Order: sequence, then C-alpha cells, then structure tokens
Amino acid sequence: MQDRRNFLKLTAGAAVGSLAATLPGTVQAKTCGEIHWDENADVIIVGSGFAGLSAALNAKRQNLGSVLVLEKMLVIGGNSAVNGGWLAIPKNPIQLAQGINDDSPEELVKDQIKSGRGMQNDAALRVIANRALDAYHLCINTGVKFREGFNIQVGGHNKARAMRTQHGTGGDITTKLYEAGVKEGIDYRLQHYIEDFIMDGQKIIGVKVRKNYRFPDLTTGSTIFIKANKAVVLANGGFARNMALRAAVDPSLDPTLDCTNALGATGEVTLTAMAHGALPVHMNLIQTGHWGSPDEGGFGWSNALLSIGWHRGVAISVLNGKRFMDERADRKTCSEAIMKNRYADNSPAYPVVFFNHDKYAKDDRVVRALRDKMAWKVDSLDELAAKFNIPAAELKRSVAEFNQHVKNRKDPLFNRKMDTAEVLTGPFVVSRIWPKVHYCMGGLKTDLDARAIDGRSMAPIQNLYAIGEATGGIHGEARLSSTSCLECLTMGIVVAETIKADIQGAV
Amino acid sequence: MNKLLLSILLSISVSGTVMAGDLIHIKGNTQGRSNHEFIYQDGCQTCHQGSGKKNATDKACVECHGDINSIPVDESKLAIPAANPHKSLHFNKGASCLACHAEHKKQAPVCAECHRTWFKEM
Repeated sequence: MQDRRNFLKLTAGAAVGSLAATLPGTVQAKTCGEIHWDENADVIIVGSGFAGLSAALNAKRQNLGSVLVLEKMLVIGGNSAVNGGWLAIPKNPIQLAQGINDDSPEELVKDQIKSGRGMQNDAALRVIANRALDAYHLCINTGVKFREGFNIQVGGHNKARAMRTQHGTGGDITTKLYEAGVKEGIDYRLQHYIEDFIMDGQKIIGVKVRKNYRFPDLTTGSTIFIKANKAVVLANGGFARNMALRAAVDPSLDPTLDCTNALGATGEVTLTAMAHGALPVHMNLIQTGHWGSPDEGGFGWSNALLSIGWHRGVAISVLNGKRFMDERADRKTCSEAIMKNRYADNSPAYPVVFFNHDKYAKDDRVVRALRDKMAWKVDSLDELAAKFNIPAAELKRSVAEFNQHVKNRKDPLFNRKMDTAEVLTGPFVVSRIWPKVHYCMGGLKTDLDARAIDGRSMAPIQNLYAIGEATGGIHGEARLSSTSCLECLTMGIVVAETIKADIQGAV
Repeated sequence: MNKLLLSILLSISVSGTVMAGDLIHIKGNTQGRSNHEFIYQDGCQTCHQGSGKKNATDKACVECHGDINSIPVDESKLAIPAANPHKSLHFNKGASCLACHAEHKKQAPVCAECHRTWFKEM
C-alpha cells in the first residue's frame, strides 16, 4: 500500500487535467484521483519579503532541513524590496549613542497600543518588541548597512528609535537576506504561484503550485505538487493591490486610490487559507496615506516633498483656486478633504500643493522630485494656473489671503497652526496630490507563536504558520511607521523556533 | 560563448541598419531580437524547453549573457548612478531577466512601475 503522505486522494475536478489546472480551486482529500508529488521540502515558505526571507534564513539556521521559498513574481523581495527602509528598534546602538537611555520594548508597545485604538493585540506586540534587537542583529550579521548616526523619532512614536537603511529602501535588507540564504543552501523560486493547499484533515501536507507563472495571467505555467514535510509558512504579504477584495471589505475605500505597494500585493494565498478554515480578522482595517502623488508609482517621493509643502506651502483645489483644508491635519482628515475634489464625472481633480522654490532649491527632497518629474518649478501664479487649469484670479486671491494669514500667524479659514508657514512669493515648487492605500492591518489570525488559527475550532491548523502583513489583528486600527519591517523580521525568527518546538513536541 | 556573442554583436553593429537587441520580424506573427536571429534557426527550443508554448526561464539568457551582476550597463544613460538595473538596490541578484527584458515584444522594466521617468520600454 502506498504511504498516504505520498499519494493522496483528490477531488475528481482537480484531477481532470488542463481544465481544472486553469481554475484554481479548493482541493479536498475526498474522492478519486491521486496526488503525485513532484517535489518535496521540509519547510515551504510562501512569499519573499522581509517575513519570508527572515523565516527562511532562521528555519535553515534552526536546522529544520530543506527550505523552499516560493515567490510568484519575477523578483525576490515582494513589497519589502520597495519599502522605505525604516526600522524601529528600541535600544539600538545608534539610539544609545545619542544618549537616549529611557527607551524599551515596552515604550514601543505603549505607542502601538495608543495607535491601535483598542483593536491591537498587546501580547503579540510585546512578543515582537521584545525580539527587536534579534531582528537588528539578523540584519547586521547578513551585511545590512544602516545610515551612520541616524536614528529619529517618526510619527506616533514617543522616542527617537527609527533607524533607516543606507539607501532608504527595504531592498537593502531583502537583497542581503536573500544572498545570505542562497549561500546557506535555501532554494528560492520565482514565478511559483500557490493555487491551493493540500490538506489531510486539519493538517497541511503540501501545496499545489503553478510553476513558470507570469503575473497576473493564471493560464500561464503548469501545475505541480510540492509536499511540505514539516511546515508551510505563509508570508505572502497584504492585499492592498487587490481592488475587488479592497472594495468587498471596505466599501468606503475609493477605487480611484492608487496604492504604494508592489503589484504582487494581491493576497490570494490569504484567501486560499480562509477557504481551508483559517480565520481572517480586521480585513476592513486598511491604512491609507494622504500624501500620495498621482505622478509617480509606489510610495515615491511625494511624502517627503510634502513634509515641506504641508508646513511651508499651501494646498489648493484646481476646481476653484481655493484652499480646502488644514494642511497639517491628520491623515484621515486630509484624505477625506482631498478626495472631495472631483470633476462633474466624479473623476479626481488632483489638488496642487506648492511652496517657495528658492529657499529649498538644493534640498534633496526637491531636487529628486523635480528631476523625476513628479513636481515642477513654476515662476508665477499665472504659470501655475495655466499649467493645472486653475481659475487664475481665484488662485491669486487665495494666495494673497493666505499670505495675510501667514503674517497674522492665524488661519481663520481652517485653523491651521501657522508657526511654520511662509509668505508665498514664487517661484514655486508644485506637485499634485491624491491619497494612496498603503497597508493592510487585517489578515490571518495566529497565536503568539505564529500558528495559523482555524476559525471553526479556534485551534491551530497543524503545520500551517503565518507571519508578517499576511496576518491580522496585531496592530489594530493603525500601524505605526517603521514597525512593519520589525514585525516581519522578528516573526521570521519566532516562526522558526515554533516549528522546531512543534516538531520536537510531535515526536 | 561570450566571444561568439561579441562577434555577433559587432557584426550587427557594423551592418548599421539594425541595432543589437532591436525588435525585428522573425517569421509568421513572431517578433524577436536582432541579436538572437541565429537562435531562431534552431526553432524555439533554445529558450522554451520542449515547446514554444512553455514559458522560457532565465537559464537560456544566462548561458550566453552571464548573470545579472556581470552584464555591463551603459552607465552614462542612467538617470542617477544608483539607478543601475543590473545592480539594483531593490533586487540585486534577486531579479529574473524576464522582470525587465522581453524577447518577443517591447516591455518596460520592473523599475518603471515606480520610477516612471527613469526607464523606457525596450
């Protein structure tokens, strides 16, 4: 008799070859047909961002056996490779050198609890924060370089604890983790799309994979079955690029909103896990940034450029040449005000933000924005009005009025704090704005050790783990900046320890 | 193999009308790169294992051209020095050739998803 771990019964549908192969669906261990495993690995990791790369390296270093990383896209790194490279580490060496001695993991958790507005998982946040220095050392020992002497306080944090990678991108981390993993014998595959999980009751025993897949065409490539001897780790990231899912879970999220994420952030594997009973939580909690620009892809330069514009400049509606918000209000208030700018057909009338050019001409935030044509230099309000089709007379009136408010240090229109505002004289740096979807707080429910939870039994699904943005319920209502990288790296360490403990417990 | 490649590149650039790597008509509805003309004489199998319907992988590219870090890029054409796609700060060795290069059609590189003004279709 065949070992049922090598040959498992399949539904008729999934075994009918080409038709079924183009229709990814749930494979059930029920009726006729047998699985021929094309390959096997001890630990299969789905996704190659911070979480997946950290889990792979730590699984290998915990001697869990062969480690196989499956990435559906044509590049390693997922959204992490294009992230901004911010990493919050309480008690990091730069922070200590700066003389900040009163930070601790608990101080970070305190900030996150505030930001989570009661919806966060305090215990999970503590697990992560307590391992922050381990995440830092993982980076350092794989050759990641951080900016020397750079450690600052970023939004929502009560301490300066955010370090930044040398080139200001998460790619500084993903490339190093990947290259270390290759040296240590981890097998990484691009273009491998997870079609389904192969379950044996309440236990995952492998994955059905479309090999040589070309995103986003599901008819490309061919199906193979890969057996997972010990564990499957879901590190597939968020779903901010999945427009249908976004609309289904949060109808208030406007479809005109672009997204900061890499194109692959579509979350199919999360949905597949749900189809097999994994419990999703907080799926409607999706973070949006009001600092996006429609004139560049990804996260881009806009946020940094607007750190000048919101303070030194002014936001103007192209529809009527008037101000329409307190430029320094929080992201939710600003997002809502910005999105009210619509043409008659409801298409976005992207507002403009502008400030004086000459004083900031050499500022890198301005230099690169102008160079890459997501912002422009204009010499006069007439030129500005003509370029963006703004009623010129209204624009001039608004700027004159604003300049008076600057002089008075009082904004009677929107009650903006005017201490950083400057009289606008031109020439100007101008860019267009529209919010972008940024991060999914929701995802798969796990226990504190990264085991994926079945919603029916509220018990772990055997051998199935989930880490990083694919998980939900950790950050609550809003994730603080520089904490996602921390979570991903840390939980990659934790999950490897959990798998090891589970294997030992099972023997 | 690299020598062969170089001589082919040279002969094409000397002939003048087509630049190495230009998209040209091969046969039927198929377009391909001018420097790969000699490959098409053997059918599709050099790149597509077994059949033209199967997707190609990096293996065929790397066999002649070498791996990503070893292939020089004309640095004078980069938007900024850090924008070298063969030494990408985001992906480095972790990028498939196919993320940027297409054989049968023009395609913008993966970098252009965000850096819209830095790279053109090629």
